[in-house]
Amino acid sequence: MSKLIIELTINGKKRKVETTTSTRLLDLIRDDLHLTGTKEGCGKGECGACTVIMNDELIASCLVLAPQADGAVITTIEGVGSGDHLDPIQEAFIETGAVQCGFCTPGMILAAKKLLEENLHPDEEEIKRGISGNLCRCTGYQKIIDAIKLAANRLSTKDGGRGEEDA
Amino acid sequence: MEESFGDLKKGQKTYQRTVPCQYFAPQEIEEALEILSRYGKEIKIIAGGTDLLIQYYDRLYEINGWLDLKNIKELKEIKIHQNQMEIGAMVTHTQLEKSEDIKKYFPVLRHAAADIGSPQIRNRGTIGGNIVNASPAGDLLSPLMAYDAQFKLLSLQKEALISAEEFFIGPKKTILEPAQLLARIILPMPSERTYGSWIKIGKRKALIIATITLALVVEMDEDNKTVKDVRTCLGSVAPTPIEIKEVREKMIGKNFSQLDFNQLGQIVEDKISPIDDIRGTKEYRKDVAKEIMINALEEIDFAYGGRINE
Repeated sequence: MSKLIIELTINGKKRKVETTTSTRLLDLIRDDLHLTGTKEGCGKGECGACTVIMNDELIASCLVLAPQADGAVITTIEGVGSGDHLDPIQEAFIETGAVQCGFCTPGMILAAKKLLEENLHPDEEEIKRGISGNLCRCTGYQKIIDAIKLAANRLSTKDGGRGEEDA
Repeated sequence: MEESFGDLKKGQKTYQRTVPCQYFAPQEIEEALEILSRYGKEIKIIAGGTDLLIQYYDRLYEINGWLDLKNIKELKEIKIHQNQMEIGAMVTHTQLEKSEDIKKYFPVLRHAAADIGSPQIRNRGTIGGNIVNASPAGDLLSPLMAYDAQFKLLSLQKEALISAEEFFIGPKKTILEPAQLLARIILPMPSERTYGSWIKIGKRKALIIATITLALVVEMDEDNKTVKDVRTCLGSVAPTPIEIKEVREKMIGKNFSQLDFNQLGQIVEDKISPIDDIRGTKEYRKDVAKEIMINALEEIDFAYGGRINE
């Protein structure tokens, strides 16, 4: 009775997963779907390491029961970019040195992605608000903000000023 | 039936439990009410889960079943109906923040919603959850009280409309019965000459539980100078969100520009009953209550003549 099967679309693929009524979406993603790019930090929705995009919204997957995600469309960090092709946000993070230990990076990149989808020309305050649910214990915030600015810049000039490599 | 975990080696975590548990996610309110009338005491209603799941995984209580309201569309609507604002209990803080109607008519509520947690929390957390959780520090509670909110409670047997004041009876305690569901929040539409101020004090901006909150809503008379009505509501200073009614006597009928802000701040300081906790001491809260009341009055003084926006 406590087991149930949920269906969700994760990184574009439909999946059926057997889960329980007490499983967190975070554990379903990591343990059942083996997508370990999503991290567990605090487990209380405060650090943002477990951030994913669910039904077009940024959420903390540690505060969602797996059955709550039944029918949902989810993007994890594995669904950003494809294979060898990095997303412009990922490229910007690398170029500006916005990655230190890397633990917050998947969540940061998803927060940045959502922010830039809604607002392609964010000012610094808007960037800070966009990533306010994500903690970086290395405290590398300035470079993360720089990376998001760089990505915004490239994404807002149509081909990113760097040819049509995404075609 | 006992849960068995296929992946015990990998996934063995302290929060996994062994009680059988039902999961309901009905499409209609009536269905939800039937489930509640049958299982009321045994199951827990889940909205966004941003408060509930933290408590659940800390094992503050066992849960035999969940009633998930996510599929009930009418609980996610914000609409104006018969000169009242109706907000469904499943409306998220993000929805409140983005709604043009909430921004236009209930700016204090919008500011409070925008100050909650983080994008991740605002996207999941709901107005109904904030109310039912009934934390003395619940950010939406003092604004709702200041706008004279009423809560529509439904059960199979009856329908009740309860004021915010009657609803909260202690820290995390409300009059909600196990078979009842908070369905809607109803706010009377304010007059054109209504002004408001929202002040939240906490140790940081994001993801902070408030040390103290103030929602001040002032309605002016038709001359736009005389105070017609005022509601001064605070959070985190008493077992429930409270209104300082004594402020009314001092303000109603008076010309706003002739009010003694310092005296009004003192009334607020004198009438609250805060406690010492990890977020601040009693003395600190009393001092700050006075100052933020003065600031809120100054903000309204500065803004009126035009509606407050941003």
